[in-house]
Amino acid sequence: MSQIDENQIHDRLKRLSQVEPRKEATDRAIQKARDALMSEKAIPKLRLRLPHIVTKFAAAAVLMIGAGYIGGRLSAPEPLDVQELQAALEHSLKSSLEPAIRQELLSEMDDRWQSTLAVSNAKVKDELARQVRRDLTEFAAQTLAASGTRTEQRLMELIRLIEAARIQDRRRMASAFDYIESRFGNGLVTLAARTDELLDAERAGSVPDISEN
Amino acid sequence: MRSRQKELLELLDKSGADLYALLTRLTLREDVAEELMQELFIKLNNSRGIGNVANWNAYARRSAINLAFDWRRSHMRTILALGQVGEPVSNDDSPLGKLIHSEELTETLDAVGRLKKSSREVLVMRYLQQESYDNIAEQLGKTSHQVRALCSRAIRNLRNVLGSNEHESSKKEIHNVANR
Repeated sequence: MSQIDENQIHDRLKRLSQVEPRKEATDRAIQKARDALMSEKAIPKLRLRLPHIVTKFAAAAVLMIGAGYIGGRLSAPEPLDVQELQAALEHSLKSSLEPAIRQELLSEMDDRWQSTLAVSNAKVKDELARQVRRDLTEFAAQTLAASGTRTEQRLMELIRLIEAARIQDRRRMASAFDYIESRFGNGLVTLAARTDELLDAERAGSVPDISEN
Repeated sequence: MRSRQKELLELLDKSGADLYALLTRLTLREDVAEELMQELFIKLNNSRGIGNVANWNAYARRSAINLAFDWRRSHMRTILALGQVGEPVSNDDSPLGKLIHSEELTETLDAVGRLKKSSREVLVMRYLQQESYDNIAEQLGKTSHQVRALCSRAIRNLRNVLGSNEHESSKKEIHNVANR
């Protein structure tokens, strides 16, 4: 318990109450306080003071951050084995990335093939069209040539047939004339002679009687 | 001249010596008391939240008490370590007697500084400033009976604090001797 009694306390307090500053010290202190009051320091200055609540909030924030840090450190799991972590990461990455990479690669190859095939298809179409046009032109030329030859042959044959027909007609006409000459040759000469006499008589003014024939 | 400054100058003329004496008793150093005196009046002049103070003398006295004990708390570890024991405060002429009395007073003041604010204020007003209970009651806005009760409780608390201090210091001495 207390080893000092109340009297001792009162004694000490009494001694404290008897402490008196020196007169010159008191005068000097009062003068300095007066000077301070009169000087510029006493003029109230616009001080930027943070509200008390801000200080309290800042202190609370610091405490919460500290508590969170300590809690995080305490509740943090033990450090992992680096190799195990690496293997796990590698496995995880492989399992998650490989299908995606494969799919991406396939789609990329498909795109490339499609673009290449599209270009090739256009070239093939163009080449095919040119070939068809060339073949058609050649075929048309051959057809025209064959047709010309055939036509010419037909015409020659027609001409030959016409010539043969004319020769045959001439022959028939000649035979007809021969026949006519053989049957009516003398009569015709007589007719021609009488016709000639009639014409002469007519020119002379007398018309012979031809009713006898 | 502003009205507050004028009031403070009047206060300085009227109660400056008492305030300086109070600061000297609480710090046991005239130079520190001088600085605190300036600081006290500058604070009184610049503080905004005061408004219209009815009794500047009482307000300044309480502010001086708080200022002095704030200084004691901030310099508690260096006061004796630097050997800055102030002006003579004892009637004993021997250097050892002066030192012992100074240490006792310092110890008492440190113990007073560890009390609650209300106890500390009534203790200083009553026993260091030798003010009457009625005067203290008027300054604190309490009845004289309440002030008496506060003083009694403050002395009891101070006794406990000092007793525990002495108990701890004696334990330390025993420990030191045993280590030798």
